[in-house]
Parts: sequence; C-alpha cells; structure tokens
Amino acid sequence: MTDNSDSATQLRPGLWATVNERYPGSMITKENYVPLAKLHKPLSESRLTFISTAGVQPRGTLPFDTVHPIGDYTFRRVPSDSKPSELEIHQLKYPTAGATRDLNVIFPIERLQELASDGVIGNLAPNFFSFIGYNMDAERLERTLAERLADAVVAEEADIALLSPA
Amino acid sequence: MQRAIEQRGIPTVSITVALDVTEHSKPPRAVFVPFMMGHHFGTPFHAELQRRIIKEALTHLVEAERSGEVRKMSMTWARARRDGVEIERRLGLKA
Repeated sequence: MTDNSDSATQLRPGLWATVNERYPGSMITKENYVPLAKLHKPLSESRLTFISTAGVQPRGTLPFDTVHPIGDYTFRRVPSDSKPSELEIHQLKYPTAGATRDLNVIFPIERLQELASDGVIGNLAPNFFSFIGYNMDAERLERTLAERLADAVVAEEADIALLSPA
Repeated sequence: MQRAIEQRGIPTVSITVALDVTEHSKPPRAVFVPFMMGHHFGTPFHAELQRRIIKEALTHLVEAERSGEVRKMSMTWARARRDGVEIERRLGLKA
C-alpha cells in the first residue's frame, strides 16, 4: 500500500466509517463550520502552542489510562522547552515505529523550538498539551476535555495553535 | 477540540492523515499529509520535512479564507520514506 501512495489519498481509507460502524457515536460528526478567528499579529510575533492526541507526556507524570474501555478524558501539560528524552508515550492506537526513534515525527517539539529561535514564530507558550486519541464518547470529550483544554490554551495567552490528531 | 479553541478567538490549524475524519469533524483549518498514522510530521531524523510540514500549516493559518479549508501537501509517503532512509544512511544510522 505504501509504495502506491499518492499525495491526495489517505493511506488508511475508510477510517471514520470503520470505527463508527463498530462503535456508533464514538466519531465526531459536525454539520457546520465555526467562524474563523482572526490573526491579530504576524506569525513572527505570535505565541504558539501545540496540542497532540499522541499520548506524549513528561516522564514521571501519571500515565494515561490506555486500557480503559471508554478512554481517558484528562490531559497533560508538556513544557515547551522539554527535550525528547524527558518525554514518553502512553498510547496504543497508532503506530509508534517512527516516534520511538524520533519523537518529532508525531510531537515535533525540537522543530517548534527551532522555528521560535529562528524567529519564524514569536515564541512558544510555556506548555504544549497532550491527551490520548482513544476516547469512545465523543460527546463527553467535547463537553469536558475539549472545554478544559481550550481554557488552558487561553490561560497561556497563546495567539495561535497547531494541532495534531494522531 | 480545535473548534473549541477557535471559538475562543485563537486561530487554529491541524495536521491530518485522515481526510474522511476531517470531513466529518469539520475543523476550521487543516493540512492533509498522505502519511501513515502516527507519522504526521514525516519520517525519523528528516528534520527538513518535519519543518516543512509545520511551515505549511503556518502558511495555511495565514492564507485560509474560509472555515473548513483543507490544504494538501504535495508529498507522498513513499517519497518521505525513501528520503528518510537516505538521511539515516548519511547519519550512519542505517547500513
């Protein structure tokens, strides 16, 4: 499959339908779009935060509950000045072949640190945020985790947010 | 999640490897990369590609004109893997 990949087709097709068929209600479906927020500053002056569902967390913090049948609706803060060696992954639902060798393939913390020091972006928020993508109750995720995490992003005075749903 | 942050006035952009999930969840802005799950920023030690994907997302953040716009990276997974192998050889990480 990988050798026949092209740039416009996802490698693993039918993901939404496959999961939704087996676990109805677990996949998010929206009918409309939210209005775009405006950028108030150039990128070179903006504070960026990064939000990942990859289950990356600082070593020594309470591991995500990766075996709970309905998921784990908590999040962890990951200091944006962390080194990859200070972080570990607790997540079962995506291939970590690349990430175990170079965390940046799913949590590009070093690249973001470089872009900030090169002045492409203004600076990094004190923390990035992480949770696990395996959450089977989409409504609960939106009502609890999404709201709490969004409030935490605001509290860190981030101007822009990059997200990576693993 | 992304929508909740955007609704608080903070512009957001996500990297997706699953266009169908993106079509259903309707984030405000997304960049599609045709890569394997768990490898949204490419292949190990391929810092240039990792950086390029983040920059593509930042460009989309600035240039997207309507909510729901999905930007596509002109890159294939096969190419990313080939380049990754080459880089690992050069770094002496692969024979």
